Amino acid sequence: MMTVHLEVKKRKNPYIPIEADEIIPKNFINKDQELFVWRGNRKVPLEEVFLKRIEGTASYAKEIEIVITGESGRIKRVGEYMDAGAILIEGDIGMHCGNFMSGGTIEIRGDADAWLGREMTGGTIVCRGNAGDYCGSGYRGEKKGMRGGTVEVFGDAGDFTAEALAGGTIVVHGNAGDLCGAEMKGGALVIHGNASRVCGNMSGGTCTVYGTVADMLPTFAYVGTTEDPDSRTALTEFAGDVANRGKGRLLVHSFIRA
Amino acid sequence: MAELLIKNACVIDPINRINGEMMDIAVRDGMIVESVGPAAAVIDAGGALTLPGGIDSHTHICGTKVNFGRYMSPEDMRAGRTTRRGEMHATSGYSVPTCYGNSYRYSAMGYTTVLEGAMAPIGARHTHEEFAHTPLQDAMANVLFDGNWGIMQAIRDGDQDRVAAIVAWTLAAAKGFAIKLTNPGGTEAWGWGKNITCINDRVPYFEVTPTEIIRSMIRANESLNLPHSVHLHCNNLGTPGNYACTLGTFDLVPDLNDKRQTLYATHVQFHSYGGSTWKDFCSKSEEIARSLNAKPQIVIDMGQVMFGKTTTMTADGPMEFNLYRLHHNKWSNHDVELETGSGVVPVTYRRSNLVNSVMWAIGLELALLARNPWQCILTTDNPNGAPFVKYPEIIGLLMSQKYRSKIFATVHPQTEHRTPLQAIDRELDWYEIAVMTRAAQAKALGIIDLGKGHLGPGAIADIAIYPIQIKDIDPSKEYEQVIRAFQQTNYTIKGGNVVSRNGYCTGTSHNTTYWVKPEVPAALDLDHDPEFEKYFQLYTVRKSNYIVQERALHLNRCIETEASL
Repeated sequence: MMTVHLEVKKRKNPYIPIEADEIIPKNFINKDQELFVWRGNRKVPLEEVFLKRIEGTASYAKEIEIVITGESGRIKRVGEYMDAGAILIEGDIGMHCGNFMSGGTIEIRGDADAWLGREMTGGTIVCRGNAGDYCGSGYRGEKKGMRGGTVEVFGDAGDFTAEALAGGTIVVHGNAGDLCGAEMKGGALVIHGNASRVCGNMSGGTCTVYGTVADMLPTFAYVGTTEDPDSRTALTEFAGDVANRGKGRLLVHSFIRA
Repeated sequence: MAELLIKNACVIDPINRINGEMMDIAVRDGMIVESVGPAAAVIDAGGALTLPGGIDSHTHICGTKVNFGRYMSPEDMRAGRTTRRGEMHATSGYSVPTCYGNSYRYSAMGYTTVLEGAMAPIGARHTHEEFAHTPLQDAMANVLFDGNWGIMQAIRDGDQDRVAAIVAWTLAAAKGFAIKLTNPGGTEAWGWGKNITCINDRVPYFEVTPTEIIRSMIRANESLNLPHSVHLHCNNLGTPGNYACTLGTFDLVPDLNDKRQTLYATHVQFHSYGGSTWKDFCSKSEEIARSLNAKPQIVIDMGQVMFGKTTTMTADGPMEFNLYRLHHNKWSNHDVELETGSGVVPVTYRRSNLVNSVMWAIGLELALLARNPWQCILTTDNPNGAPFVKYPEIIGLLMSQKYRSKIFATVHPQTEHRTPLQAIDRELDWYEIAVMTRAAQAKALGIIDLGKGHLGPGAIADIAIYPIQIKDIDPSKEYEQVIRAFQQTNYTIKGGNVVSRNGYCTGTSHNTTYWVKPEVPAALDLDHDPEFEKYFQLYTVRKSNYIVQERALHLNRCIETEASL
């Protein structure tokens, strides 16, 4: 087993974004491999931004855990294309964490910025704080968002959560923002709190909202009421989005029409 | 006096009937000359294949619909990014790259001249601005006339002189190069929610048929003595059974010009479909090629489809709507004033899809069954069939039966029952490839006299040196080396300057826009014609704002023609 401790150094100007897509477990199998990050428009060695300390050895990515501490809220693209191993982030994390990841685990103790786990195909992301907008969605112009794996957010999630979701599961324990599950094509979205205008143009998949949906879209056909087996909550079931001849399921506890 | 000597070049120059001769090429002040002095800079080609600069006679790289393709596909912009390097700008995009992206990638492949296949007259200013930022290629643009109200009215009234007058005025106003007809009449019908299915349907309100439009425009084209012929995108693109319509269109074409063809039919692959539905869809390339082989007055380009992601864009609005209904992808449709329309839809061509596999085969079949390579030009209708960066792979496929079989084994298994491709064992040689990628284009566009497309003394020094020794290589077996060589030149020379060296481009060049100004008798000059002014009451801009001034152009060269009216 190997643990890689990366402590973010104090920075003179903490507003300059850092892109650190090379921080994935498999890049640390060879301890001497030189890694780089982008600070603003400059490519700098990883050690210039992070204090690096490595314990143990590993010959496979799955034996490696990366622990990131310090002011990491503006560090983007951590865990991009990650396929195995684990990343633990003690604080907040910047945008695009876990882009395209296909395996392994990312745990964020603080908040995550926008595009958490965008277009990921497998693996698990757990966010103990809040997630920003577009959690588990597809990037601009992309037809499919997250395709597999699991994202669990214990706080709130922002707008466009699970946009174009095509597979996998997203669970939000708090509230979610506006237009969640828009263009959903498959997979499951579970929101334990409230949300608004959910699942516009959905064509497949299941979305469950245990709170109240504000501004419920009119293009969903009423199916009936069911009882949720886990929580014993009565849910109203809709099918849609009928404007798109969609075959999605939308289950809500309560809703307010626009 | 800038002088350059290219030594030990293995030259193929079909226009001057040079086939693989070792020779030196002398360049002075951007032109090819007989000899240069001892102080000339020297490039030693070392026996590498040296061709005239490549010409793409049908591509979509500049203009309003290309730009629409760019901004509706942010995912495409992410697909091909390069960073700034020396004088090279940063670029992005794969099927619809930025202007510099297009320019650098064409230049790395040895292309020095491009023709934008479809420019809406009202989008002309924008197109010319993009030409100015496509620095490594000389450019020209076809002007769309397929749904021009004035022309359809004149055809209905039987006023052939007026048709020619409107063409002359619009070409000069838009600073265009040739006449483009895209689904003639069809786009106008689409404005009424209808389409034209073949050449004898009537356009709503105007009551003219595509047959009449095509015939009349061919006559106007020849009476104005334009360098290029009518450039036609036939009716009924991309529907099963449309080959009959294409054959009917070919039968309309008289032989009126002894220097070049009378009709340039573009992306014929999309017009060579048999069957009645997508279920019994099949290739009719043999019928189309037979008709082509019997008609020297027609030149076609392939419109080859290659597998992968791309973006379709055409002035053929109704066809793009059908494509949208097929794919349910994002889609745009535009109605462009009284002239034409357009549509843009991103698509992915898949090997696992039978229709796409048959489309892929048809393009190759056309090139292999056309007996005369001067009559069949290599294109992908960039980016409709595939981005132009796939040209080297197409060259590989045309030169090697082995490579074709290898790819054929990966396509949909039903393809062999729908296409004759596997029965064709022809393999094109270097000379034929040189014809299909530059010489035939120069002849078809009528720009040989301007010094384009050949390496004889007096020609513009557009030269491409490819890193391959043709005498030591068997393209039918070593197709991978052929593909690699055509992907990146050692040197691309444009106007006597090296603009690309091993894929590394210089950002500075002096590219020229070619445009045509036909001189018509005073009675047919529409500058002060009250009838013609009336149309502009229906336009969003005034007539005076509509004209692209010469000073709005980058470096340009006007081709003045004397009309015989």
